Amino acid sequence: MLNKIIRSNEFVIFVILVALSLVIGWINPAFYSWATVFDVIRASIVYFIMAYGLLPIIIAGGIDISFVAIAAMSSYTVHMFLINQGYQGGILLYYVLGCLLGAAAGLLNGILVTRFKLPVFDVSLATFTMWYGFTLFFIGATANFDLPKGSVGYYARFLITFQDPNVGTTGLHESFLYVVILGFFIWWLLKYTTLGRGVFAMGGNRDVAIRTGFNVNRIQLVLFIIMGTFSAIAGVTQGFLSRYFNPVLFIAQPLDVLAAIILGGAAITGGSGSVLGTTLGVLLIQLINRALILTGIQVEWQRLVLGIILILFTAIPSIRTLRARRVGRMIQS
Amino acid sequence: MRAELNQQPSQTRKRALSTFEFVGHHRQTILLVAVFIALFTFFSITEKKFLTTRNITSMGFQLPEIGVLSLAMMITILTGGINLSVNATSNMAAVIAGLYLVKYVPKDAPESQIWFALVIAMLLVLLVGLISGLLNGFLIGYIRVPPILATLATMTFFTGISTGLTGGATVTGFPEQVAIIGSKTFIGIPIPFIIFFVVTVLMYIILTRTSFGFKVRMLGTNPVAANFTGIDTQGVLLKVYALSGILSSITGVLIMGRTMSAAYEYGTTTYVLLTILIAVLAGVVPGFGSVVNVFIAVLILQVLSSGFTMKLAGIRGSSFFKDFAWGILLILIFIVNYLTKMRTSR
Repeated sequence: MLNKIIRSNEFVIFVILVALSLVIGWINPAFYSWATVFDVIRASIVYFIMAYGLLPIIIAGGIDISFVAIAAMSSYTVHMFLINQGYQGGILLYYVLGCLLGAAAGLLNGILVTRFKLPVFDVSLATFTMWYGFTLFFIGATANFDLPKGSVGYYARFLITFQDPNVGTTGLHESFLYVVILGFFIWWLLKYTTLGRGVFAMGGNRDVAIRTGFNVNRIQLVLFIIMGTFSAIAGVTQGFLSRYFNPVLFIAQPLDVLAAIILGGAAITGGSGSVLGTTLGVLLIQLINRALILTGIQVEWQRLVLGIILILFTAIPSIRTLRARRVGRMIQS
Repeated sequence: MRAELNQQPSQTRKRALSTFEFVGHHRQTILLVAVFIALFTFFSITEKKFLTTRNITSMGFQLPEIGVLSLAMMITILTGGINLSVNATSNMAAVIAGLYLVKYVPKDAPESQIWFALVIAMLLVLLVGLISGLLNGFLIGYIRVPPILATLATMTFFTGISTGLTGGATVTGFPEQVAIIGSKTFIGIPIPFIIFFVVTVLMYIILTRTSFGFKVRMLGTNPVAANFTGIDTQGVLLKVYALSGILSSITGVLIMGRTMSAAYEYGTTTYVLLTILIAVLAGVVPGFGSVVNVFIAVLILQVLSSGFTMKLAGIRGSSFFKDFAWGILLILIFIVNYLTKMRTSR
């Protein structure tokens, strides 16, 4: 059992996370504070949500990048619509309308993929361009800072608060609850439902999954609806956390989220992946991003360091599998 | 796209094709040419300024950058990989060559010395492209990092080098001669376009007329089978990514010539996705894909972009409509492809 845990990809990522934290803390002891923990979590919240929505699609053997565009389109469209209507209520309506739009956009991807037998990636590339273009041209091209009265103060609604000597009051934001709920939902879906087992079967071998009796088209439709909904939640949450709505929200981030999931042990070809691994992958990338500021490296060289760290970290799991394969071959011969 | 499997045997047998077979084998090319002609005609009729020497020349100056970059992307997709660092590579090459030109070539240098420095700068660009490509190829071929992760990491790394070297600033003050690449014409044809055309022809020859090209396509079709047939898959991958790096660095020269400057941030994020979009539009899938299709796809995107910019001039956010139109066009082409494939397979 213990051996199995140590050999798992999740464990490797966990060790890397801990090692990285120790190194940063050694360079700058200010790193060890509740403020840092909450800061990293707050920055990760929306990426967790998007990654959870994307994970099943990747396990099922598809690669999608349109989820960021869906997040931007649904959150910005809902916001502009409600603001123009003079809406002054709370955040719930944002989430409800956003989820509807997101689910519809996800469904469009799903229909194109299943009805016309297209590769997931190709469709997502088209809808990625389409939704950003749609939002920028038809809805609006500038960030909007007007928030309805009912949502004012939401960005600082904490579950737990702490007094930090340097930063002041920090805390665990309420939206972390969504992360926990959505994460458990995906975990449950993948592990304990027929649909979830179908997802793994599809990613492993699509033809076999079809012959086993899984309705792969229906599974894919459901996965795309989930992805669209999760993206919309992430988009709306990001809007309220940063207190403005942006038509090009996350436009540079799809590959980061994808990388986090792959780093967390999901195979890009499908068939494997886990919620825990994804969580650790997202945390790792966010930690690297945040931590570099604390290490005192000059700003213009930070990205270089980030690049080196990424190269090393992406290579470590691959080197491990290479070695494992070599050992396996030796045993066979 | 799968139906193009038929292409392999008929090519080796070298027998004459019937019209029906010709259409079947070149369906994507025919479709793309038809779309190109339709769009070109549409904009020529509805926009007075579209079919003018000035506009055509200006399109000829704009499209080579993304065109060469798309070829750099395409060969990696042919092997079943991807290269997200294409744009970062071209910026890094441009920044390094630019810093060399600005720092080590005195302003009042004699013409011959400047030309010599320019040759050195070009070699430097290609060298940077080669090295960055070799790094990608090493990570992907030998350490077996998934291409998407490896090139995402090197993308950050290369951008980091450009940011660090320039401190985030734009490098300017090149000798005037650099502008020849970016803004002069040769017998009426923009020089960048000539470069793009030559690169396309070279790539066509490499991919269809050499054993290397054959190995690349074999690797994309079935990596396991390719390995068992004795193809040095690691070596092929190394060469493919090296070639991709060199092509990316050529784009760096084109950007330098057009803008007379170099920076870490030119075309970030949008260029990379655009090159993938072009490859997908051209029907490039692992193992199968034609350089000709990529060339036409680049032309289509440029026509669409210039056409809509003219049509919607004056409307708020008009330049964004082309993104929307690209997405719709891509989806339509997928659907037409699917429907025609259904008919031919029946």
